[in-house]
Order: sequence, then C-alpha cells, then structure tokens
Amino acid sequence: MAEYQNIYLILSAILFTIGCGGVITRKNAIVVFLCIEIMLGAVNLAFITFSRANSSPEGIFMVMCVMAVAAAEAAVGLAIFVLLYRKTGSINIDKFNLLKW
Amino acid sequence: MEQALILICSIIAIGTAVMVIFSRNTVHSAMWMVGNCFIIAVLFLLLKFQFIAILQVIVYAGAIMMFIIYAIMMLNLRVSDDSAEPLKNLLNGRYLLVALLLIGLFIIGVGFGPMALKGSMTDPAMVKFGEVELLANYIFSEGLLPFELVSILLTASIVGAVYLAKKN
Repeated sequence: MAEYQNIYLILSAILFTIGCGGVITRKNAIVVFLCIEIMLGAVNLAFITFSRANSSPEGIFMVMCVMAVAAAEAAVGLAIFVLLYRKTGSINIDKFNLLKW
Repeated sequence: MEQALILICSIIAIGTAVMVIFSRNTVHSAMWMVGNCFIIAVLFLLLKFQFIAILQVIVYAGAIMMFIIYAIMMLNLRVSDDSAEPLKNLLNGRYLLVALLLIGLFIIGVGFGPMALKGSMTDPAMVKFGEVELLANYIFSEGLLPFELVSILLTASIVGAVYLAKKN
C-alpha cells in the first residue's frame, strides 16, 4: 500500500471530472484538447499510484504508453485543427458538422 | 509533513485545472495547463518515481504544451470565441458529470481494497538497481510488443500529421 494512496486516488477522480466537465462545456477546440490532457494526467496519476501500491512496473509502463499516445494525439489533433481553421475560419466545435447527416 | 505537501499540491492541481476551463484567453488556459503538468510531476516525485516525473515535465510541459502554444499562435486565437456561459452548459451535462463522478468513486473503492500483488519494483530493489533499470527490464522482456506498437503508432501519427497539414 502506498502511504497516502487514498488522497492520490481522490485527486485523480476530481481531476478527471474537471477535465470531462471542460470537454462538455467549452466550445473552443484547443481548450477541449487541453481538458483531454487534464484527463490523461489524472489517469496517469491513478496508474502511478497503483504501481506504487503494488510495487509493479506495469503501471509505469502504461503511463509511458499514455504519454506516447498523447504526443501522437497532439500532432494529429493540431494538424486537424489547422486544417479546419483553413476551411471554416474558426475552431468553434459547434461549427464542425461536416460528418453530420 | 508529507501529507501536508500532498494536500497543498492537490489543491494547486485542482485550482490550475479549474483555471484551464474558466480562462477566457486561450493562451492563459495553456499556461495554466503547463502549471498543472508541473504539479502532477511533483506528485509523481512524492510517489518516489523520479524518472516518470522528469518524463512528465519533458513530454507534457515541454513538447506537447509547446506544440499547443505554437498552434494557438499560428491560428491567431488570442481570445476564444465561445461566449456561451460555461455554467449553463455545465447544467445541461450534469447527468454525465454525476455518472463520471460515480466512476471515479468506483476507482477509489478499488483503491481501498486490499492489494496482495507484489512486483519487482520494491523499495530495496529500486535503491539497489535504480528505477530505470527495473523499468527497462520490464519493457524489453514482457512489454516488448506494446513498446514496438507504440513506436509504430508514433511513426504513423507523424506521417498523418504531415499529410494533413500540407497544402494541396
């Protein structure tokens, strides 16, 4: 058991909820992206806490994978934002209804 | 002492996360997010994983946030154009938020349960071999396939980003 495991896990849940609230309330695509990063950080914290509690390297390995996925996501996501900005002139996510039918 | 430090860091982390959402200026949001990344790194240090803390600072606060600020500069979005009230939107999504909080409480409940698993990263082993060596032993034996898949994913995302951003 990690010493203050419960504090870390509660903090992780609160941060995840804050990030998710940002995703569903904000309309600016970049801020939505930042909120997704907050959620990933919260998940990383939970993984690290469990890794500490079990003294196992698997949680840390998962955190490294999450970081790599976050970097890939940043590259592709920002390229998509630039493309949409060129097309529509704004990055308000309410205007991105290209796939709506 | 340690508990006080953890609580202070937790409060700062929650405060920076809230400020990311409630800043009108996109650049300010990004700056608060850098602060949040640093505080998460401090929490990793308090959990005695130095390598991951440094990785967090380099990858998140260094690479990804630099990327995002660069994109904000390129798109020229000083002030975000969503003037819709965040609180009203929050009320519309309240059921989803409650569901998420329940999921979070479930995770916490898992944490309260007894944990019998014992891996290779015990404190004496970390002092003796170092954290990085134990992690590398895991990555290049059991975690080899996911590790290679991550490298393929990174290559694919680089190609995809270049293809998307290039002018036709």
